[in-house]
Amino acid sequence: MTENNRILLGIPASPGIVIGRAKVLSDLVEAQPAAHLLYTTAEVDEELENFRSAVEQTEEELVRVKEEISATLPEQAHILELHLMILRDRLLSGETERLIKEQNLNAARALYLAFQKVTEIFRRVADPYIKGRITDVEGVYRRLLGRLTGAGLGSPFASPEPVIIVARDLSPADASQMTASQVLGFILERGGKTSHTAILAQSLEIPAVVGLDNATRELAGAEQIILDGLTGNIVLDPDADMLQTYLARKQDYEAFKGEMAQCGFLPAITLDEFPTQVMANIEMPEEVSLALKYGADGVGLYRTEFLYLRQRQLPTEEELFQDYRRVVEAMHPKVVTIRTLDIGGDKFMSPLQYAPEMNPALGLRAIRFCLKEQGIFRTQLKAILRASAYGQVRVMFPLISSIKEMQDSRQLLDAVKEDLRRAGQPFDPHLPVGAMIEVPAAVTLASLLARHAEFFSIGTNDLIQYALAIDRVNKQVADMYQPLHPAVIRMIRQVVEAAQAGGISVSICGEMAGDPLYIPVLLGLGIAELSMNAMAIPMVKRIIRMTTAEEAREMARHALDLATVEEINGYVTQEMKRRFPEIARFGSSLVGNQRVP
Amino acid sequence: MPLAEAELWVENRLGLHARPAVKIATLAQQFEANIIIEKDGAEANAKELLSILALDCPQGTRLVLKADGPQAREAVLAFTGLFARKFGES
Repeated sequence: MTENNRILLGIPASPGIVIGRAKVLSDLVEAQPAAHLLYTTAEVDEELENFRSAVEQTEEELVRVKEEISATLPEQAHILELHLMILRDRLLSGETERLIKEQNLNAARALYLAFQKVTEIFRRVADPYIKGRITDVEGVYRRLLGRLTGAGLGSPFASPEPVIIVARDLSPADASQMTASQVLGFILERGGKTSHTAILAQSLEIPAVVGLDNATRELAGAEQIILDGLTGNIVLDPDADMLQTYLARKQDYEAFKGEMAQCGFLPAITLDEFPTQVMANIEMPEEVSLALKYGADGVGLYRTEFLYLRQRQLPTEEELFQDYRRVVEAMHPKVVTIRTLDIGGDKFMSPLQYAPEMNPALGLRAIRFCLKEQGIFRTQLKAILRASAYGQVRVMFPLISSIKEMQDSRQLLDAVKEDLRRAGQPFDPHLPVGAMIEVPAAVTLASLLARHAEFFSIGTNDLIQYALAIDRVNKQVADMYQPLHPAVIRMIRQVVEAAQAGGISVSICGEMAGDPLYIPVLLGLGIAELSMNAMAIPMVKRIIRMTTAEEAREMARHALDLATVEEINGYVTQEMKRRFPEIARFGSSLVGNQRVP
Repeated sequence: MPLAEAELWVENRLGLHARPAVKIATLAQQFEANIIIEKDGAEANAKELLSILALDCPQGTRLVLKADGPQAREAVLAFTGLFARKFGES
């Protein structure tokens, strides 16, 4: 890299690389429209008329955009319906008209004040999701103000050649008007990876970088810019070398993306025909479609805390059952592994009252909590059993640290089965029961535990934390959280050996399972079932399909011979670069956590 | 003038966010009645989207619906159904 290239760093919001001219959109929201007093009734009437016609034009525009996109992007069409309603709302339009009439203010100023008032009202809203809708109000406000001041006339993206749009912010309605023929990508000062606009960019496959402070000022003078939506890098006026580098990178990425997309639906089988299962972790029924889209062979971890955290009273058996059944039916005939409640007593809003704990990771949580609050546990087990009548279900208990916990949990499950049998409700009598291996004690006891479980699932996030005594949220020690620590890979090997001796299956469902870097070693340790963030599935399948079980075992053996995590990391990184250079380069962009609000 | 009242619970997972609020306002606008949603003493006009959102109702919120006007009864019935169906969500 030469010194001639200026590089800015923002948040990568939608993957891809584009090179082109920047077009900075004028900024409407930040400008505070000045107040002009209207002196005559005629002036007031004229201003009211101006405002009403701005509302009408904006309405026509929104209706038009809504119709254009309703077939291809139904989710975004809904957002436009919301915007139409906001446009006519008393708090926005009504208040503006009132200010024009009663305070003799010009329309732009009146609208500005009305918007400030709505902002103030939303500031007091506690629910973060509802509070976030102020961005929709802001989108409508900007459109209206643009109409009033004449700054927003015409399509903001109209341009003789495709450009990279640079703006302070874009509403989803604005973004939904972008087409690849006009807009190469966009750069925003505001926003995060999960904002509506970012998600829209991902679904339109337009590369984007957001959260880049001062972008509109910094990029105003640039002739040409490079937008790297994989890293968040923006290069201003690149020199020939830099341009060449990025053109090559762009070509490589596009080839990589095309190849990855095809891997999701191929079986996850090694070159020497060792079959594996690549499954998805999910949290809500809505995520099933994503799991299927990326080619999941099943759900390896269905986290069930959401319904308990979201509401103020405990969910009913029926509510739980409906959610589980939706997932089970949608995945059928693929397996769904439901993890029972993994939560601490202090997380419940009500009606349970538990004092906050000094050390919740070592406190009353997960299976310990469930065995104490058996009423809650029974309700969940009942819902899971009932759902098992609709497809392939497995259940697993989190944070098992003794044989007794496993026995008690199974006993409770049997009692619930008996209840259901008596009530004549259908369920799968052979529902496989698993133990999650997350506590070092469970690793040590694995060979005994294997007699009390039909499968093991290693939850690496917790296991690493407990084994290495590292709180990964604590910045002082976060870099000591190392999935390939010699102690961790030895533990995994011990669990696999115990499972094999006991004739049961073993899977991995921590974040480690979705990281391309760790896949060959995990395979080599004998893991044949991996569960991960759905987006990572195609890439993990590709790695498996290009590896032989034999060489994976060789890698695992070599890793087990090394004494420090630094050496092991160096070794697997070097192997990854050698074997899968394109995944080493682009992999992280495709495994990011995509959450849809 | 007929007056009608009903107790309603917000049971859908995400609470009265954008989509349910649009449904509430759309439904309310179909009735010849004043329809007020009350939460702990705070009130929102059911025909106004932003005032519904500003009422801040997550899952589990208890609301009282008050309607008056020629179609008050019909409105209350329709709203009871809309809330019971959880706005077509989960």
